[in-house]
Amino acid sequence: MNRHTYLRAYMAGIVVPTIFFLVIATVFYIWRYVYNVPVPIERVLVFPMAVVPNFWGLWNILFVASHTRTHLPIGLHGALLPFVLAPLGILLLRALNFPAIPDFSHIFPIVAPIGLIAYYLLWKYLVRSLNEVLGLS
Amino acid sequence: MNPHDDNELRELLKRSIAPMNDTELHRDLWPRMLRRLEQQQPLRVPWFDWALAAVAAATLIFFPGVIPALLYHF
Repeated sequence: MNRHTYLRAYMAGIVVPTIFFLVIATVFYIWRYVYNVPVPIERVLVFPMAVVPNFWGLWNILFVASHTRTHLPIGLHGALLPFVLAPLGILLLRALNFPAIPDFSHIFPIVAPIGLIAYYLLWKYLVRSLNEVLGLS
Repeated sequence: MNPHDDNELRELLKRSIAPMNDTELHRDLWPRMLRRLEQQQPLRVPWFDWALAAVAAATLIFFPGVIPALLYHF
C-alpha cells in the first residue's frame, strides 16, 4: 500500500478536526440560538470548518514528506501547527470585524500553552494512530 | 409475475451464476489473526503526557473563559 501516500496523509490529517468540528459547531449553535447569545459566531465559523481541517491535512502531508529527513516526533510536529493557525485565526477575526474579539494579550498566556498541549497530545495519539491505520508509518 | 415467470427467472439465475464447488478454506486464518493481534502493542501513555493533560484540564476548569478561544482553533 504505497500508492497515493500524500492523499492518505491528507485524509488521515483531516479526520480529527472534522469530527471535532461537529461537536464544536453544535456547542456554538446551541449557545447562539438556544441561549440567544448576541454574537455572530456563524461569521467566523468558516475558520474551524474549512481552514483548520485543511491545515491539519496539509500539516500531516508535511510530516510524512519530511519525517525521513527531520525525524521530528509527530507530537512535536503537531504542536508547531498552532504557530501557523493562531495568527491566521486572529487575523480572520479582525478582518471580519468580529464584535466579540477577546483581548488576546490577556488570554494568550493561558490559551497558548493549553493549545500547544492539546495539539501535542492529539497529534501524538490520534493522528499517529490514523497514520498507522492508513499504512503511513 | 406468475409462477411460470418465477421458475424461469430462477433457472436464468442458476444458469448465470457459476456453481461454487470448492467452498472450503484451504488454510486456517485464525493463527494469522492471532499473530496480528499479538503484534499490536498496547497503548502506553507516559506519565509526562498524563501530567500535561491534567495541567490542561485543570487550567480549563479554573479559566473556562478561554474555552471558546481554544475551540475556535480546532
